[in-house]
Amino acid sequence: MFRQLDVIRLRLRSLFKAKRVDDELDRELQDHLEHLTEENVARGMSPRDARYAALRAFGNVSVTKEQSRDTRGTTMIENLLRDLRYSLRGLLHSPMLLVTAAISIALGAGGNIAVFSLARELLFSVPGVRQPETLVSMQVSHGSHATYQRWRDLDESGALQRIAGYSFERQLNWFGGYAAVSVTPMIVTGNFFDVTGVPTTLGRTFSESEARAELQPRLAVITHAFWQQNLGGDSAIVGRTLLFDGEGYTVLGVLAPGLRSVAGFALSPGVYLALNRSNMPAIADTQFNVLALVGRLKPSQTLEQGRAAVDAADRRLGRIAGDSLYAGVQGFSPVGGLGSGKMVNVISLFIAMLGLVALLVLLIACANVAGLLVARAAERRRETAIRLAIGGTAWRVVVMQQTGEVFWLALIGTGGGLLLSAALMRVANSVHVPVPIPIKIHLTTDLPVLAWAVGVLILSMLFCGLLPAIGTMRRSLTSALKVEEPRYVQRKITPRVLLLASQVTFSTLLLVTSLLFVRNLTQSELTNPGFDVERTLVTQIVFPQRQSAADNLSLLQRTIQRLVVIPGVQSAAISSAIPLTSQAGPHAGRFAILGDQTERTHIEYVENRLGPGYFGTMGIRVTQGRDFLPSDRAGTPKVVIINEEFARRYFQSESPIGSRIRIVASDSADPGVEVVGVVGNSKYYTLGEDQRGALYYPVEQRSGALSLAFVIVRTAGNPDALIAPVRRAVGELDPSVAVQVEPMRSALMFALLPSRIGAVMLGSLGALGLVLAAFGLYAIVAYNVSRRIKEIAIRSALGATRGRILSLVARDVAVVVGLGVALGLGIAAIATKPLAVFLVAGLSATDPLSFLGTALLFGCVSLLAGWLPARSATRVSPSIAMRAE
Amino acid sequence: MITPVLRAVANGFIDNRGIVVDYLYTPFSVKPSDLIQGTLDVLILKSLATEPRHGWAIAKRIQSVSGEVLQVKQGSLYPALHRLEQQGLIRGAWRTSETGREAKFYVITAAGKKQLKHEVSQWDRLSAAIKLALKNA
Repeated sequence: MFRQLDVIRLRLRSLFKAKRVDDELDRELQDHLEHLTEENVARGMSPRDARYAALRAFGNVSVTKEQSRDTRGTTMIENLLRDLRYSLRGLLHSPMLLVTAAISIALGAGGNIAVFSLARELLFSVPGVRQPETLVSMQVSHGSHATYQRWRDLDESGALQRIAGYSFERQLNWFGGYAAVSVTPMIVTGNFFDVTGVPTTLGRTFSESEARAELQPRLAVITHAFWQQNLGGDSAIVGRTLLFDGEGYTVLGVLAPGLRSVAGFALSPGVYLALNRSNMPAIADTQFNVLALVGRLKPSQTLEQGRAAVDAADRRLGRIAGDSLYAGVQGFSPVGGLGSGKMVNVISLFIAMLGLVALLVLLIACANVAGLLVARAAERRRETAIRLAIGGTAWRVVVMQQTGEVFWLALIGTGGGLLLSAALMRVANSVHVPVPIPIKIHLTTDLPVLAWAVGVLILSMLFCGLLPAIGTMRRSLTSALKVEEPRYVQRKITPRVLLLASQVTFSTLLLVTSLLFVRNLTQSELTNPGFDVERTLVTQIVFPQRQSAADNLSLLQRTIQRLVVIPGVQSAAISSAIPLTSQAGPHAGRFAILGDQTERTHIEYVENRLGPGYFGTMGIRVTQGRDFLPSDRAGTPKVVIINEEFARRYFQSESPIGSRIRIVASDSADPGVEVVGVVGNSKYYTLGEDQRGALYYPVEQRSGALSLAFVIVRTAGNPDALIAPVRRAVGELDPSVAVQVEPMRSALMFALLPSRIGAVMLGSLGALGLVLAAFGLYAIVAYNVSRRIKEIAIRSALGATRGRILSLVARDVAVVVGLGVALGLGIAAIATKPLAVFLVAGLSATDPLSFLGTALLFGCVSLLAGWLPARSATRVSPSIAMRAE
Repeated sequence: MITPVLRAVANGFIDNRGIVVDYLYTPFSVKPSDLIQGTLDVLILKSLATEPRHGWAIAKRIQSVSGEVLQVKQGSLYPALHRLEQQGLIRGAWRTSETGREAKFYVITAAGKKQLKHEVSQWDRLSAAIKLALKNA
């Protein structure tokens, strides 16, 4: 044991006190020499002769020293450190290379790291609960949500330790002081906090004993963000009452800051309310699937055991309930892992695309750097050859130095990339996404991100260093000394050519994708939605849940009367939905024209309930018949207005006015309504959709809940000016409703959001890729020209015109770039097919304009990149060029 | 014993003053017979078995106990000393020598003593076997 300790001590000493150890060896050898000299003197030689004889007998000291040093076993580490220092010095002597390479890699690495963070946040984030690995989210009975009764039964069945449910779909009005604000709270079962164990920073959470639904609890727990932003961080918040839809809820506590919710996808509710009959009337209903389920595994239960237990319980309950066909577990995974479902698939696809694009940028950057390094290695061929000749091993002279340089470049680049991604993350965190459900992204640079950064580092080292190393290793000594350079007419495939072509290919791929998405955005914005966007205001009114639809309707009508007298308002109308923003899902049913012999056909249509004057306010043309009038109300004959698409599909040439139609749908069956008008088409769900048929009913004639309604206002001038008067008018009529007023254009932002995000992200990445490729192109061409300056000089001395030389250089560049672009476009034609899902209709994934545009853009860029260095080369006089090296 | 000696002569390791233990080695070139390298190690360990000595004294000691046949040069002595030190078989310490100068004295460790005993028994077995082979072959 002591032996091992001694050995370790010695090794450490050799590593850290190398100089002292060397000095000691020197003294030993010196000592030995003196002894030898003394012996010679004792034999009778003169002191001088004695010393010389001793020295001769002594032999080569430096070899001894080296051998002794080798026995220490730390040579490898010393060599590594020395090589790293040397390569860093070499890099510092060429600052241009260092800066450009570092920036290129930083841009590529930064994008990659940022995308990784985003993926983690959106798909893999762990909610702030106790022991997240034993908390599972589950989907049963062929639905993402379960009914209240099914939750009760599953919880009591004991399949898991406990099961809780939450709902995140209702909007309630919170009366915060002087105005009502619409919030989306998370309505949770009484045992929710018992099951999840979310930590608090103030007060406590509620437990099942006090928050069971039977007790009609009025308990709330608020999040830290809500507490800070809306309640001013009031330290006396615990015990206070907050009014939601007119009902008082007692605040029991504030949750700890920076936590992610169980719902995932960066959804963050501000308030958690205990479930009761008022905020969830569907308690009694077996039809409504309202609760998403999370369960806590029993202490000894594995995931599979838990799944099997819940599956058995659900099937049993299904048999009892009579819908056993749909029973069983469809999804069962720990919260924070990758779940399942349509939402996950869409987001995953988007993130995967972003990730691939970021990887492309990194590859381009690495190809850039590799090209620069190859050029540098070629420049140092002489030096390398000489070092090899005087005894350096290929390993240390070539490989280690190159690897050292690549290491430093990758390190500095990735460090810059981390900084860049931190800045990007800060921007992403503060972005406000205009969706009704609150989304909060917390992106931080923590350990997994750093680990990913190290991975990126190694990857870039590999890509940057591999090709140059291989290229250098193959060169032999003689050819190195001869400084051979392939002439212009020879077409040799050197590593440089390969790098250039690959860079161009990647950039083309990137550019095509970006152009596609930019085109997508412009197409979306140009698409006419079918109604006036410039001079309309949208007022969203959210009524308290308990008010009846009749009361809401009368309030809406009084609002209209109030609004039309405001100066600047031309007209106002009621609507139950806003196209492209807040449109209820398409209805389906069987349709028949009364009196017609045609069979009942299955149709799908969009439905909307309107007040009188809607079409005029929205700027939709009435092509036949009339708009709704105030006379179309309860008690008068039922009427309907259809859009042109509906008329085209089901009425063909004849005029639909006056016909009576009948629709038997899942939630309504009316005896027939009379068609009184036909209006122009508009877009209903997305700008890129195929045209749908639509039916419009008068709001007074069609029953149904009206807790959320819209009032459209047509303005004479700029709608922004009337936002405040409209809000005031509504607020004065009834302060308990939540009012939101905005111009139609900004309300439509939501519809354009995906296209906008796609275009911004990909457009910037594409531009980045182009800049990197252009720079790489310029650098390589400039280097090539500088190597061939002798040849150029000879040619011009022999009489070649400047134009001829330029065309020679251009041809060289054109072949490589042409090959790269062709290959890139070919790959793009296949690779962009899966992206069609993100694009508007009318824009194919192989849009010829984008492809052509890319080819043209690259052509121009490469022309410029080739022309500049060639031009400066032809300016040099031949005699000077011949002497240059 | 003969073949490695012959090889040593062929490589210039032996001159008219007797057997000079002096060799050059690099990590990537052919190692000389492990016998010669191992032999020097054993000789050093044996010379340290009785008392601590410094480098020069070890060389002198080996020379004298071998009847002036084996002369160890510094080029092989010091690498061997450091190798043994790195392996933990001897330990070095700076002390004042008999002449009053500061010198690095080497002491054999417990592990070194064990190794010495092992090596000596190996040597005995080996030389007996070769002697037998030479007599009978």
